[in-house]
Amino acid sequence: MTAFVDTAAPDLASNGALIRRMLQLSWRYRWGCVRLLVLQGLLLGTALAALDLSGVGIDVILFRAGAAKRPAVYPFGFVPPTRWPALAEVSLIAGAILVLAIVRGWLNYVYAVDSGRLIHERIVVDLRSQVYDKMQRLSFRFYDSNSTGALINRVTGDVQSVRAFVDGVLIQLVILVLSLVCYLAYMMRIDVGVTLVCLATTPILWIVTVVFSRLVRPAYDRTRELIDHVVLTLAENIQAVHVVKGFGREREEIAKFSSALQAVEDEQQQIFWKVSIFTPVIGLLTQLNVVVLLAYGGWLVTQDRLALGTGLVVFAGLLTQFASQVANLTNITNSVQQSLSGARRVFEILDTPVEIKTPPDAAKLARARGKVCFDGVSFAYEDGPGVLHDITFSVEPGQCVALLGATGAGKSTLLSLISRFHDPTAGTVRIDGHDVRTLDLDELRRNIGWVFQESFLFSNTIAANIAYGNPTATCEEIERAAKIACAHEFIMQADGGYDAVLGEGGMNLSGGQRQRLAIARAILLDPAILLMDDPAASIDPHTEHEILSAMQQAMEGRTTFVVAHRLSTLRHADQVIVLDQGRIVQEGTHAELLEMPGHYREAAHAQGGQ
Amino acid sequence: MAIGNVDAPAPAKVSITRLRPELDREPDARPLDFGLIRRLLTYTRPYATKRNWLLVAVVVRAIQLPCVAWVIGAVINGPIAHGAPVESVLAGALGLFALALFTQLNFHFRQRLALELGEAVVHDLQQEIFSHVQQMPMSFFNRTKIGRIISRVTSDCEAMRIGVQDVLFVTLVGVGQMIVSAAFMLYYDVVMFGVVFAMTPVMWGLNRYFRKRLSRAYRDIQESFSRVTSTLAESVNGIRVTKGFVREELNGQLFGDLVRDHARYNMRAARRAGIFLPLLEFNSQFFIAALLLVGGYRVLNSQMTTADLIQFFFLANIFFNPIQMLGNQYNQALTAMAGAERVFTLLDTPPDWQDTADAVRLPPLRGRVEFHGVSFEYDPAVRVLHNIQFTAEPGQTIALVGHTGSGKTSIINLIARFYLPTEGSVLIDGCDTHDIAADSLHHQMGIVLQHNFLFTGTVLENIRVGRPDASDADVVEAARQLGCLDLIEGLAEGFQTAVGERGGKLSLGQRQLVCFARAMLADPRILILDEATSSVDTLTELRIQQALHKLLVGRTSFVVAHRLSTIRDADLVLVLDQGRIIERGKHADLIAHDGVYAGLSRQFLEVLTNR
Repeated sequence: MTAFVDTAAPDLASNGALIRRMLQLSWRYRWGCVRLLVLQGLLLGTALAALDLSGVGIDVILFRAGAAKRPAVYPFGFVPPTRWPALAEVSLIAGAILVLAIVRGWLNYVYAVDSGRLIHERIVVDLRSQVYDKMQRLSFRFYDSNSTGALINRVTGDVQSVRAFVDGVLIQLVILVLSLVCYLAYMMRIDVGVTLVCLATTPILWIVTVVFSRLVRPAYDRTRELIDHVVLTLAENIQAVHVVKGFGREREEIAKFSSALQAVEDEQQQIFWKVSIFTPVIGLLTQLNVVVLLAYGGWLVTQDRLALGTGLVVFAGLLTQFASQVANLTNITNSVQQSLSGARRVFEILDTPVEIKTPPDAAKLARARGKVCFDGVSFAYEDGPGVLHDITFSVEPGQCVALLGATGAGKSTLLSLISRFHDPTAGTVRIDGHDVRTLDLDELRRNIGWVFQESFLFSNTIAANIAYGNPTATCEEIERAAKIACAHEFIMQADGGYDAVLGEGGMNLSGGQRQRLAIARAILLDPAILLMDDPAASIDPHTEHEILSAMQQAMEGRTTFVVAHRLSTLRHADQVIVLDQGRIVQEGTHAELLEMPGHYREAAHAQGGQ
Repeated sequence: MAIGNVDAPAPAKVSITRLRPELDREPDARPLDFGLIRRLLTYTRPYATKRNWLLVAVVVRAIQLPCVAWVIGAVINGPIAHGAPVESVLAGALGLFALALFTQLNFHFRQRLALELGEAVVHDLQQEIFSHVQQMPMSFFNRTKIGRIISRVTSDCEAMRIGVQDVLFVTLVGVGQMIVSAAFMLYYDVVMFGVVFAMTPVMWGLNRYFRKRLSRAYRDIQESFSRVTSTLAESVNGIRVTKGFVREELNGQLFGDLVRDHARYNMRAARRAGIFLPLLEFNSQFFIAALLLVGGYRVLNSQMTTADLIQFFFLANIFFNPIQMLGNQYNQALTAMAGAERVFTLLDTPPDWQDTADAVRLPPLRGRVEFHGVSFEYDPAVRVLHNIQFTAEPGQTIALVGHTGSGKTSIINLIARFYLPTEGSVLIDGCDTHDIAADSLHHQMGIVLQHNFLFTGTVLENIRVGRPDASDADVVEAARQLGCLDLIEGLAEGFQTAVGERGGKLSLGQRQLVCFARAMLADPRILILDEATSSVDTLTELRIQQALHKLLVGRTSFVVAHRLSTIRDADLVLVLDQGRIIERGKHADLIAHDGVYAGLSRQFLEVLTNR
């Protein structure tokens, strides 16, 4: 199977293009982003002011207690009246710190709510809805080449990665630059020399962090894979408990699990060592800053060139902030990587062109009569071998056509062309004389009822499942459909009747019951055309008769296509088409085909039990 | 209820799915339980040396951290504040550096030993859980959801890892750090310490209150998120239905509603966090203001020296820092308790039954299987087999025929000794299955079930499950004997072809043949086979029938038969209905007898033959 890349927009290949694309996306939310940045600016300012004030407080106390020779320097050139008692000054500062703290608290709250609103209520909701909407319109080929887990992840995890670009990369980066510059300017203002000396270790800190994350990331990735392997081993062991016990392989399984665990532990040991060297080294580097500050700054203080409070103590506080911002830079580079790979997958979906859609000047088809014609129809999946070759036949309204043939003969594909799940590569499919490609897609499909080989039922009530195609159907309509599909009786026996919830945590149905619900779902629409793709395929042969009468009643008055192997169904068909490797090899009524030598007669005779 | 009833509830809002994940949720926290903690700690016993050194590192660290703060304060107060010569400032700085170096060196051990201890304990636990699960009988697997077992090994063990490696030691460091710095503060100034100490319960209380509210909000987020993902999963799996029934637009709207609803929960959590975190920060600011005010007052009134005030700033920081962290650890501890409780409950669940102490090891079997008056039930209320009586001679093929629920699978489960009969006895070569050692039977038995389960790995590995010590040549030989060597060699990479998760990369027919080869390689005396009901194409079907025929030759075989060809060749057909054998004999005799089987046969003949 070819990977699903062919239709993705090629311009997303480079990171540059991808980043440009995400910047465009962010631009759509620019006012929200600007609001957040303004709030962050205010927060930064108040943080610096509070730090400065606590330094001033110390200096005031020192000066008033006679321990320092210099008077305290207030911000903004403020000079308190000299007649103020010392305690008034201290109270003023303490009060100012408290007021700032309240303001900061409020700003922080506003920021949390605002960023939540931007991220959760706008960006994520918009993206998830868009991706989901688009996914529903993509071709089955897309679904076939991606696992359910990967598809779910596109709407959940990958969308989160894209929004992480806005709040984790873009906004963070601006904040980071802003705060580094502010901190730096502030420190420079206190003392240029101390700033330079103290920040001498910063580049080392940065390099160590980068090197470490490069060093350890592959190990983390490997560990994650190894853990996945452990879980898979466990899951398979439980799913295959019959095999394990049946062959008495418990001991081998324990050994297998044990070696999977051991692999994780070995890999973990490496990580443990690296982490346990990295964290202390970073800690040491940060403390080295303090040591340098104490030595050099302390000397300056003794020379009376630096204030103890606004100088030394404030500096110590700033250094911690600065170091944590530098560490933040590593986080940001990591999120860039992550959001890029997520974004690529999201945009791949958003950019994939919808292959099958309603043409601009669609013909009206309110209610079809049900005449279906295939005219020289061929079909092949992209890059694949031909599946159908030059299929031509026509069916009158109300007739029943049975399709017969081996797996891979093209029966399901033929059905899917009628409701335009695919478009033929050559030839035309006509309904009531209209080429299906000229019809409104939704109207076309509303005229067609489907019963699939393995019918998917949703974890919802029985009524909601039957009314899936027409959610506004009345209870009477639902019940009538269920009666035609021979489902009413077992539904009434269920706990809760039509309101019984199916699936996870709800009731379980047998294969035959499921298919009867699927038939009810199809006939609720009262479609002119009914397509049944071997609905008996996965049903225990002993219980198959349960759905045969449902099928018979459902066909009443509609053009029906049914993929079937059983004589009972074939016998009732107005027309039987035998397919072999994508070609019609035989065609006629049951009686006619019995007369002809060939595949059909052999199959029929085999079923006769001779 | 009847549709259209007067007191029928109003028609529910249209939805894609109606999932209620909360029904299935396990509690995510549990109060501290000394018994559980002690039991968890016994797992560190094999690593006692590591654990003891770790404790040493922890104690050292709890003393070091306040010391670092004290040294900084002392250098500022001493040489710096008093304008001492540059040498003494430098000496102070160097002293700090030496202490920092020692602190980080110790931290290396404190971190590494904790991580290693946590991993070792988790490793042992996971291994123990797995081994324990292996000896559980089939009934356990029927009533336990696979997700539950997996989360025992993954998330629950992970919670316990955090409990061992972090909670215990981080808490010790935190508490130690608080005690040591409190002692320092007490030494410097009792009144000021009173101020600091008075704030502790406030901070702790705020912490607990908001954390509780926050974790409730996060749980709601998780719940609404699982609604989102399961609806997504169904949307993906049901895409054909959605397209066929033109529900794209409506589903898009409904999903949008769901995502918006999820966003609402996220917002609520963001609001709560938005109050909590700033409040914490406000607290520390409030604390600085209080220290300034009280400290300033005392210094100005000469009740305290400026030097001590500065020391207080540093020490108080060390004292307060752990509080938030301890709150966090407390939550982790509750999670670890919940995980430990579930894991230990599983480990303490005894198997419903297991081999008796004096279980007989079967000698090489001849393959005679007898049922003597066997009755059986999974659930005491519902008897599924009644007085089953038959004998299979070595080498015979027994076909089991009947409706779904007639008891075919139960008979197979008894022969395989997945279950033991409630009444009567199942004898294998004259030995009651009650008394035999399970593995001695299973090693002489082969089993092929409907699902045809394949493990992730290669075709070769999957066949080798039948006999782990078989050489590659043996595997190839088994495939040759089945007559399907060409089919396997025709795969992309022959025997080395990866089968994908659950064999997904092979077709149904190919999977079935691999399972046949697996059974062939085991060369069992007794073979159990549940024929697949799903249809495969005619060509493969033919190959499967031929292979099946070869597989059955020369062993006692029990086949839940869906193929006429299999039934026709059987030495004995047992016709089951509601847990009783209603007819028995060879196919031809039963047809001639013109009883239930003949009727069944006529009714379903065309169905059966096409399989």
